[in-house]
Amino acid sequence: MDDATDDGPDQFRQRLLALVGQPVGSHSASVAPDPVNQPMIRHWAAAFEDHNPVYTDTSFAAGSRFGGIVAPPLMLQTWTMATPKITGIAERGGSPVESEGTGPLSVFDEAGFVGTLASNSEFEIERYLRLGEVVSASTVIESISDEKQTRLGPGYFVTWATTYVDDAGGVVGRQRFRILKFRPPGVPA
Amino acid sequence: MTTASSPVTLGWGDVEVGDTLPALVIDVTATVIVAGAIATRDFMPVHHDRAYANAQGAPDIFMNILSDTAYCSRFLTDWAGPGAMVRKLAIRLGVPVFPGSTLTYTGTVKGKSRVGEEGIVEVELQATNDLGAHVTGTAVLGLPG
Repeated sequence: MDDATDDGPDQFRQRLLALVGQPVGSHSASVAPDPVNQPMIRHWAAAFEDHNPVYTDTSFAAGSRFGGIVAPPLMLQTWTMATPKITGIAERGGSPVESEGTGPLSVFDEAGFVGTLASNSEFEIERYLRLGEVVSASTVIESISDEKQTRLGPGYFVTWATTYVDDAGGVVGRQRFRILKFRPPGVPA
Repeated sequence: MTTASSPVTLGWGDVEVGDTLPALVIDVTATVIVAGAIATRDFMPVHHDRAYANAQGAPDIFMNILSDTAYCSRFLTDWAGPGAMVRKLAIRLGVPVFPGSTLTYTGTVKGKSRVGEEGIVEVELQATNDLGAHVTGTAVLGLPG
């Protein structure tokens, strides 16, 4: 059943266990390409038809508990998303950027687990972000499940823990994110 | 843009365990899914390219998880008001959301407590469509009063 690599199942499992505790993406923190800004907030609020005035109404926000415009709290993950290279994104399995060297998740892709599906997201919000703040995210792989049979094919649940900090290094939020890396039907091991 | 009238924030004392939140109903189209994916800067092709989604075994493009957490926060603050603060949100995804479906958010107040000056309210929430439960989760809000 577990024919994930030529190494055999035990060696593949060892390679996966070696990923736990490793950073995802670059080894340093991912810095948001742009500071928290009104155009991206307005775009977000329009997409979700969220008319909360503390996101877009300057005078209302000034009189609110926040004292000014704040970013939607669940935009936290959006600020540090990689700026995508559109050309070739499908060929890269949906990865927005070309990996620098071999990222930790390439172990899965090389073994045919090229599909990615999010399954859980948990946020703790310490405070809301203000316009002009620059967010950084540090993400480590927290755990990797045993191989599971899912409706999409065989796969592994990978859990990441991300800490988001402001310019001064203060924690603004934390996230635990779980994805399924799966082998779609027809993809060889 | 301005709102028609200043929206009201619920006071902690006005909320009771067992209260239900007003349902949020989203008529999901391809536009809804693509707009949400791009506004959250999620360019995974399964959220905008049907042919790519088909190749991954899905019948159509489907909603991304950053849109789910976005709709959860809208659902919570549409009810609690702009002076509420979302302090925690934890969701688990079940069935996918495809264009042409209707997604309905519902929720119930499960707990109340106080932390210093702030009133804390715990909410259990779900989003369901014709395939079943899409989102199940919990949230913690901070309310004045």
